[in-house]
Amino acid sequence: MAMPDNPTVIGTPRQRVDGKAKVTGAAIYAADVKTDGIANAYLIQSTLASGRVIEIDQSQAEKMPGVFAILTQRNAPKLQPLPEELSANGLPGESRLPFQDDRVYYQGQHLGVVIAETFEQARDAAASVRVRYQPGELRTDLEGFAQQAIEPRLALGRIKLQDKRGDVDWVWANMPQDRLVDAVYSTPIENHNPIEPGAALAIWEDQDHLTLHVSTRGVDLTQRVLAAAFGLLIQNVRVICPFIGGHFGSKGFSWSYFIVAAAAARLINRPVRLVLTRSQMFDSMGQRARTVQSFGLAADETGKLAALKHSTLTHSSMVYQYTEPAGALTRLLYACPNIQINHRLVQLNYTTPCPMRAPGEAPGIFALESAMDELAIKLNLDPLELRLRNHADKDDSEQKPWSSKHLKECYDHGASKFGWSSRNPHPASARDKDGRLVGWGMATAIYPARQEPAAARITLANDGSVVVQSATHEAGTGTYTAMTQFVSENLGVPMEQVRFELGDTQFPHAPVNGGSFLTASVAPAVTAACNNLRDKLISLALDGPAAPFTGVARGDLVLADGRISTQKKSLPPMALADVLSKTNNQQLVAEGEAGPGDAYQKFAFYSFGAVFVEVRVDPDFGEVRVARVVGVYDVGKIINPMLARSQLLGGITFGIGMALMEGTIPDIPTGRIVNSNLSEYHVPVSTDVPPEFTIEFLDIPDPNMADSGARGLGEIGIVGTPAAVANAIYHATGKRIRDLPITPDKLVGV
Amino acid sequence: MNAFAYVRPKDLDSALSLIRSTPKARFLAGGTNLLDLWKMGVEQPDTLIDINRLGLSQIAELPDGGGLSIGALARNSDVATHSLVTERYPVLSQALLAGASPQLRNAATVGGNLMQRTRCYYFYDPNFPCCNKRDPGSGCGALNGFNRIHAILGQSDQCIATNPSDMCVALAALEAKIHITGPSGERVIAIADFHRLPGEQPELDTTLRPDELITAVDLPAPADTKHNLYLKIRDRSSFAFALVSAAIVLGIGEGQITSARIALGGVAHKPWRVPEAEAMLQGVKPDRATFEKVADRLLQGAHAYRYNQYKIPLARNVVVRGLLAASA
Ligand SMILES: Cc1cc2nc3c(=O)[nH]c(=O)nc-3n(C[C@H](O)[C@H](O)[C@H](O)COP(=O)(O)OP(=O)(O)OC[C@H]3O[C@@H](n4cnc5c(N)ncnc54)[C@H](O)[C@@H]3O)c2cc1C
Repeated sequence: MAMPDNPTVIGTPRQRVDGKAKVTGAAIYAADVKTDGIANAYLIQSTLASGRVIEIDQSQAEKMPGVFAILTQRNAPKLQPLPEELSANGLPGESRLPFQDDRVYYQGQHLGVVIAETFEQARDAAASVRVRYQPGELRTDLEGFAQQAIEPRLALGRIKLQDKRGDVDWVWANMPQDRLVDAVYSTPIENHNPIEPGAALAIWEDQDHLTLHVSTRGVDLTQRVLAAAFGLLIQNVRVICPFIGGHFGSKGFSWSYFIVAAAAARLINRPVRLVLTRSQMFDSMGQRARTVQSFGLAADETGKLAALKHSTLTHSSMVYQYTEPAGALTRLLYACPNIQINHRLVQLNYTTPCPMRAPGEAPGIFALESAMDELAIKLNLDPLELRLRNHADKDDSEQKPWSSKHLKECYDHGASKFGWSSRNPHPASARDKDGRLVGWGMATAIYPARQEPAAARITLANDGSVVVQSATHEAGTGTYTAMTQFVSENLGVPMEQVRFELGDTQFPHAPVNGGSFLTASVAPAVTAACNNLRDKLISLALDGPAAPFTGVARGDLVLADGRISTQKKSLPPMALADVLSKTNNQQLVAEGEAGPGDAYQKFAFYSFGAVFVEVRVDPDFGEVRVARVVGVYDVGKIINPMLARSQLLGGITFGIGMALMEGTIPDIPTGRIVNSNLSEYHVPVSTDVPPEFTIEFLDIPDPNMADSGARGLGEIGIVGTPAAVANAIYHATGKRIRDLPITPDKLVGV
Repeated sequence: MNAFAYVRPKDLDSALSLIRSTPKARFLAGGTNLLDLWKMGVEQPDTLIDINRLGLSQIAELPDGGGLSIGALARNSDVATHSLVTERYPVLSQALLAGASPQLRNAATVGGNLMQRTRCYYFYDPNFPCCNKRDPGSGCGALNGFNRIHAILGQSDQCIATNPSDMCVALAALEAKIHITGPSGERVIAIADFHRLPGEQPELDTTLRPDELITAVDLPAPADTKHNLYLKIRDRSSFAFALVSAAIVLGIGEGQITSARIALGGVAHKPWRVPEAEAMLQGVKPDRATFEKVADRLLQGAHAYRYNQYKIPLARNVVVRGLLAASA
């Protein structure tokens, strides 16, 4: 890679380039798109969790004002089953396509859709539709059906779910009780609840050409799903999504609603908009499954882990097998010779689960880091000291060296910022002036880093503007801004001159937005495109009859401040645009590609962090408030400290929500969710954000990550935080709560 | 949401004659509860009678000297911050400010708050098959369902829902009087008689008749403005309904309790008061042991279900702590 000529953009705080558009409403989200003749659709959903549809009585709805059509199994187009690579393993979502049969597998399943002039008319008509069912066997109780569990091998096609090394059973049998922890931890179903609901606008130009404006974190993936389901040529399907109002894992994949929108538009030959309601966000776009995790920890006399067993019971829907990989990182977070990891999956009559921010890691590390705290107490060791003694110097699960790991510095730095060394080890030993119990807890955070293949195209126009395109996504994390920084840095043009465009299948391919790998994947492609453009530009400047810098050596040309210049000859600097004009070029285009290299075979790539939390617990009422958080993270190079901090603020707050209040509650007798709204599904409000919030990054570039050395930081904030809160609650009260969320009912009268 | 007619009468008489002639009509005040229920399909009015132009939003001193009259259309936010309320009835101001969010309080009215319906999940979502309150005779989904937020006192096997209001708990402790106008003229209902226990007719929340309108809420002159408070326990620090709450209004003179009124929220189908428990405080010096006995008396007969066992000790702690704080 050529040295950047403007090495001051990356790593500096920059305001969001799309911030103004967002706060003024100029940013167009999927549901905002306007075109002529849009009809609005509203879903007809199952109110039974298991069985068959006998009859859908739509006679009244058909006659209601504004109704164009009603689409159900009766008149649905025959859709092509999704190919293996879009359905099994790898890609969660509903591989079962909508309206193809009469089976009902969960409450809220889409059974039909009303298409009307207005949203209100469609909703009103949908409410008048009566469905008769033949009820089937109801499977809603995870523990009750545990004996029917299967043991899947992989999650997402790559994460090992069953693993062992050494001999856990022998250690377990021979270890004295006082050095064992044997406990069960559980986490509830959770829903992503991004502020923007799922939304799609389907437009058919003709029978073979479909455009879908949709809130998705995978435009290319959505394109493949639609092409497969409707039997279209892939290039005849265009999917557009310039902004996502958050997803946390929910959007993307093959969810039914956008396929329904496309089928509806085809039926009535008009553009159709389908926007999910908040309540539908609980059953139409995935959720985090419940986990029940049994942990066994054994330590030798020196406090070193001797055995670790982690068995997770979780569920998927009846139509897809997605396993929340809670035990995945238990295999490697600490050094331990004897490990046994197991996942058991029960298929239940609930909606299909999928990844949610830190899938597996968030619930799994809650359990592991709670168990470590329990072990520290048993061994009479400081919880931080126990973690230091069990530091993993390599990835024992794959026998690979870490690419870059500075966890000990996170511990050190975090502990001193927090004042951890003055912690009184005895629980329930401190009170604040209001009589509330004060507790301190900590936990380790970890999240894998990855690079996926990506491409970008860059165009320099003779007005000096630079447009870069890639089919990546902006979920509110700052893609537009970070990528603009990369372009600015690499080409030496001011950020204001650069426009980054994303979220369109007509742009060069980029991966789905997930796994915290967006920057690590897309930035190298952008940099490659910039380098190719810069080579072409320098060639224009040097070669040919009209070249302005003839005779200068290639290496002596510098791109900075939007100009090309040289120190070697007394030639005046020239704006990039003028180089194009002078050489009679309207524009200059270059492409770039990047993908994981050999380093990915050799090293284990993980980000790390240490999070320290102070809570106040009212002993009479059981109310918990997080008073203080210190989080120190080793996530590789920081591209934009302002955006990075926002990600961690959000991530840690998400973790506080997971610890204290979030939970989707199904009614066991009916399988219906009782709290599918934001009034009763609690996420933190502003007053739940701790008043003292310290976030620091070590900012050490990962030498083996492509390009800048950024590993990614979108998810690590939620990892560790729930355990740190639970551990702090134990320290405050002496009561161990192993079942999330830790609501007041679990702590009354501690 | 069904099609409907919208009317905005300018005087009380037209509003009342409209409600008489259109039995499926509903009054619209702030709309923060009615519209939610409507969108869910729990309510399906054919006519909306907007009562915001009836001129009922005054907050004024009563001629009796010391009392206060609050119009039914006064906004929750205006009541909470009105100087006569913050000075004389801090418990009411605190209760209002503990409820909902600023945006909702700006829209919500006193009349609407008195009439707000339970947040029982099985009531709120008509796709749950069982709810005697929504659909008499269909059963109670909460009894064997997820009943963490449900009642522990005064419930029946027909219904274990709670009244969710914070304001009403304070009004109960202040012994407010609800002024009502109907076909046969005006009447006044004491707050204690306004909300009902579910009994065999859980579909009836209140004793207000369908063709009556709440016009105002009167508060008697306060005896003591220092020793009262509202305490609310909830799942997050703001913007959540009470798991349990208490409004406590004490009179204290020369170190002794001269009058005591305690209302509990989140535990029953109406704000919960027990005169016998309050009487135990008459003439005694504030002390924890007495308060614990009072709490036990208040909670006498409490019965919990699978998920709301915690409410009994929690309510007890709320009463004791509330009394300690109010009497300090
Ligand atoms: C997300 C959310 C959170 C909330 N949190 C809380 C909370 O923490 N604590 C709390 O106490 N409340 C809370 N609330 C409820 C809120 O206080 C009520 O919705 C509000 O007080 C209702 O008042 P309104 O004027 O909007 O009533 P409307 O919705 O207009 O009316 C409600 C009912 O009262 C009837 N009505 C209105 N005025 C009169 C009248 N003068 N005479 C006769 N009938 C009348 C209407 O016909 C309707 O049936 C919350 C609400 C929401 C949506």
